[in-house]
Order: sequence, then C-alpha cells, then structure tokens
Amino acid sequence: MKDALLALAPILVVAFGGLGLMMTEAFGTRKKGGPASDLALGSFIVFMAGAVVSASLWAAGPEQLPGASSTAPWLIVDRFTLFFDTVLCLGAGLSALMAGGYLPEHRLDRGEFFPLLVFSTVGAMILAASGDLLSLFIGLETMSIGVYAMVGFRRGSLRSTEAAVKYFLLGSFAAALLLYGGALIYGITGKTDFASIGAAIKNGLGGRQADFGMLLVAMVLVLAGLAFKVSSVPFHMWTPDAYEGAPTPATSYMAVAVKSAAFAMMLRVLLGVFGDSASMSWGTGWPPVLAALALLTMTVSNLIAGRQESVKRMLAYSSIAHAGYVLVGVVAVIKPGSDAQASVLFYLLSYTVSTAGAFAALILCGSRGREAVSFEDLAGLGKRHPVAAFALSFFLLSLAGMPPTAGFFGKFYIARAGIGAGLNVLTVLLLLNSVIAAYYYLRVMVFMYMREPAPGAPSAIPMRSGYVTAAIVLSAVLVVLLGVWPSTSLKVAIDSALTFR
Amino acid sequence: MKPLPSMASYVPVMLLFILAALVAGGMFTATTYLGPKNPNPTKEYPFECGHLGEGSGDVRPSVKFYMTALLFVVFDIEAVMIYPWAVEFRSLGWSGFATMGSFILVVFVLLAYVWKKGALEWEK
Repeated sequence: MKDALLALAPILVVAFGGLGLMMTEAFGTRKKGGPASDLALGSFIVFMAGAVVSASLWAAGPEQLPGASSTAPWLIVDRFTLFFDTVLCLGAGLSALMAGGYLPEHRLDRGEFFPLLVFSTVGAMILAASGDLLSLFIGLETMSIGVYAMVGFRRGSLRSTEAAVKYFLLGSFAAALLLYGGALIYGITGKTDFASIGAAIKNGLGGRQADFGMLLVAMVLVLAGLAFKVSSVPFHMWTPDAYEGAPTPATSYMAVAVKSAAFAMMLRVLLGVFGDSASMSWGTGWPPVLAALALLTMTVSNLIAGRQESVKRMLAYSSIAHAGYVLVGVVAVIKPGSDAQASVLFYLLSYTVSTAGAFAALILCGSRGREAVSFEDLAGLGKRHPVAAFALSFFLLSLAGMPPTAGFFGKFYIARAGIGAGLNVLTVLLLLNSVIAAYYYLRVMVFMYMREPAPGAPSAIPMRSGYVTAAIVLSAVLVVLLGVWPSTSLKVAIDSALTFR
Repeated sequence: MKPLPSMASYVPVMLLFILAALVAGGMFTATTYLGPKNPNPTKEYPFECGHLGEGSGDVRPSVKFYMTALLFVVFDIEAVMIYPWAVEFRSLGWSGFATMGSFILVVFVLLAYVWKKGALEWEK
C-alpha cells in the first residue's frame, strides 16, 4: 500500500492540499486584503508541489515504482499521466495566481474559489490517469462539478448565472452521452477497463455480427461526449457563453486545464478502447469522424472569431480553433511510429502557457467595475499602459503561432505529424486557418496601438496586482523557453506518449 | 474463455417495457374515449383530503431543505462505503483499517467544514 501511495503522490498532494486550503478558508482569521490573496498563494504552492512531485516521478521513471501497477487499471501511473499532471498543475496554478488578483479587484473576494479550483484539478488528474470507464467517469464529474460552481461564481450577475446553467445542462448532457456509450460497451464486452475492452474488440467480439453494429453506436456516443468536452464544432455552442460569463481565472482554467484533461481522456479512450486496426482505419473506424470534426472546428470557429466584439469571446472562439488544430494531431496518431502523440502533448503544453498568459494579460488590462472585455475598451492602451498592452500582444502572437514563441513550434510539430500521416488536406487547412486567426489576434494589437479611444468613452484602466503580474511573468518565461528550446520539451513529450498495439 | 452473453438476452426486458407502456397507455386511451363525462363545478374543484383550497397557490416555499438533503446524501454514501468494509474487516487487516481511517478523517474534515460554515443551522 505504501508503494501505491507513492505512485499516486501527485494526486494525493493536490487533494490533501485542497483539504488544507478548505480548512484554512473556514477557520482562518480574515486579514486585511481578504482571504483570497492568502489562499491564492496557498493554492499556487499546492499546485507547484503537485507539479514538482509529478515531474520528479516522471524523471525517476514510473516503471521503477513498485506500486505503479497496483493502481492499474483504475488509475494508470505512466509517463503520459505524469506529463499531464504537470501540465494540469501548471495551468491551474496560473489560474490560482490570476484569481488572487482578479477576485478582490472585482469584489468577488470569497475564498471558496480556491478549494473548488484545487478539487477540480484533482478530478482532471484522475481523468488523465484513468484506464477504466468507472474511474474515467468519476474523474470527469469531479472535474466538471468544480468548474460549474466556478463559472457561476459571480452570483449577482445574470450573465454568469446563465453561463453556469448553460454549461451545467450541456455538460451533464455530454456526460450522459459518454455514459450511455460506456454502458453499451460494457453490455457488449462485459468489461470496464480499457485494455480488456480493446482486447475483446480485437478478438472480434466472439464473432457476433450484431454486436459490431452496437459497438459503432457506442463509438459514436463516446466520440460525441468527448467532442463536447474538448468543445469541438458542432458541439461548441456552450463554449462562448460559458467562457464569457465566467470570472476570467475560471475561463482560463476551463480553456487550459479542462481542455488538456479532455484531450488526455480522448487519447486514452481512442488508443485503449478503439485502438484495433479496424477502428483506426479510414473505412471502418473513427479517423474520418475526427477528421471531419477537426476540419469543421478549425474553419467555423476562426470565421466566427473574427466577427466578435468582445476580446474574451474572441479568445473563447480561439480556444475552440486550437482544439481543432489539436484534433489534426489526434487523427495523425493512426500512423504507427509517428510522433503525432508527442505533437499533441507539446501543443497542449504550449497552448496552456500561451492561453493562460493571454487571459492573465486581459485581466491586467481591466480594473474594478470596468473589466476590459471589448475591443473598444482596449483602444489606445498601448500609449497609456505600454506594459499591459505589450504583455497581451506577446501572448496573442504566441497563440497566432509567431516564431520564436511556443505557439509556433506547437503548430509546426502538429503540421509535421499531419504531413507524416498523409493528412495533406487537413494540414493545409490548418495552415490556412492559422493565417485567418492571425487577423483577429492582430486586430487586438491594432486597437491597442493604432486607435484612439472614442471621445468621452470610459476607457479601461489597468489594475495593479503582484499575483497577476507573477502569472504573466511565469507564462512569458515558459512561452519563450518553449519557443527557443523546443527540442527538450518535445523529447519529454515523445517519452510521454502512450504505447499501444 | 467463456463466450460473453449476447445483447440478445436483454430482449425480454425490452419486451416487458413495451408491454408495460402498451397496458398503461391503453388504459388511459380507453377511459378517455369510453368513460362518461358529466363535469360540474364541484367536480372541477381541486381538493386534498376533502378540504377546500385556501389562500393563493402562488407562494414561495423555503428551499433551505436542499442543504440538509445534500449533506444527507454525502454522509449516507459514507455508510455505503463502511458496511462492506465492516464485513471484510478481519481479512483486510491493518492496511484496511488505515485506509478506512483516512477516509473517515476526510469525511470528518468535511463535517467540520460544513459545521463551521453554518450549513447545519436550520434558522439563521
């Protein structure tokens, strides 16, 4: 049992850290400046501890751990899990820092936000580690319930409540689809763990033809549920409203950690359950479905993003577009021996730091009662507050894929994997879409540096917060590091890829 | 390896559902078309246990019961976990004791939290 505890250390560190924060929040004395600022630091430390523990287990090699196999198949401790644990802790830690500045500034200074964030991350880590339909569902719900509450955190605001209800209803619906698919799979194979299900499908399901039809239905249901969680078109309708209504640190968490965990789940399900050659072929399996989703997701979201008036909403559509790029990498996984999985993992890491940085910079641009959300709010910011404007521009350039930032190499590796797997049309569309995306990222900079605010219009005044600045600096350093030395992290991503077949 | 049961073995269950729907639906349809209807004001009046309705139907009931219900579910699930553990107590040994101890500790932290937060107060 001691060995199993060591193998699960990343999850346990974060979970017990969350319990500690919860007790501090309830029993701690309120100091000047409110509880949020103390708890933000506390949760950041918890997340960094989780990230350090995961990274050291990664470096030590989880196959060396005697307890790593005792938790399988419910929780699989391998390099893939530990890579995602690190990324998730990083994304959530950045959100915690943002919340430390954002919540007091916008009079949302309630400490409950931080335990919610921590426990939701525990769910995300369980999700990334799950090798069984049951633990997958528990992880998914633990993660989602925390996020529903965080989205509705601004209780006085109608928009925030609407976003929370919408996200809750559609999220539960997606979970139900996933559950239904899982129930059908269990009905067909009699197993709940991915490896046994995959083996049963590979062995031809005992030759019963009728069950193959049922399996197809199950696959469609599971894919729909997964597509909902990564917010892929046409399952994206909730995303802009939920992202816009939520407090910005929660938006960042949803765009970064929830999406990464959902992609981890997607890779585990697609390769573990539907990893046989029939399911992974263009004629009879999931590749054409995912390729269509990727195509729709990239194109539709980029076209809509260019027409947004709100920067936050534009970033929501941009996060949908990025999900589309990642899906190209996921489709490329069907080519055996390629680095497609590594490109997906690297992309998620670079996307995490770029997006979290962009949201942190957007938080910095606004202040109490005047959250800078629309393009007009940002007009002339480059002259009035060059630092905030520069930070936002920097992360948007990374999202656009400008070298030498992290975003460039993310797109580069995905495109390389796409060409390597023979997905020429998808890869060309990815590059075309990156050009379209550059339009709306650059538009923010046009407003900040080349427009003057309309006379008499209330303009955004940037806030001052050490926490938000720390989040920006941390993400900026990582964006530059990933952009200048991408090979190290790519090697880490290659070593983290799931083995299958 | 034993062959897995086919989905075909669930067909009787589905037939049962269909039969139930047909019987219930048939009864409703039959009474709608066959039963005599002589409505009068007394019959139309909503009543409960023979009493006439009083006051407006548009009142807001207190929903503070939801918190109690929520906490009940949380602490009830705890019992679900403990019963099977108690049955297997001897074979699980000290490691089982430690596992359940840490579980109960977590639940205790939760209890302390809801107590401190005032969720156990009925009237505030």
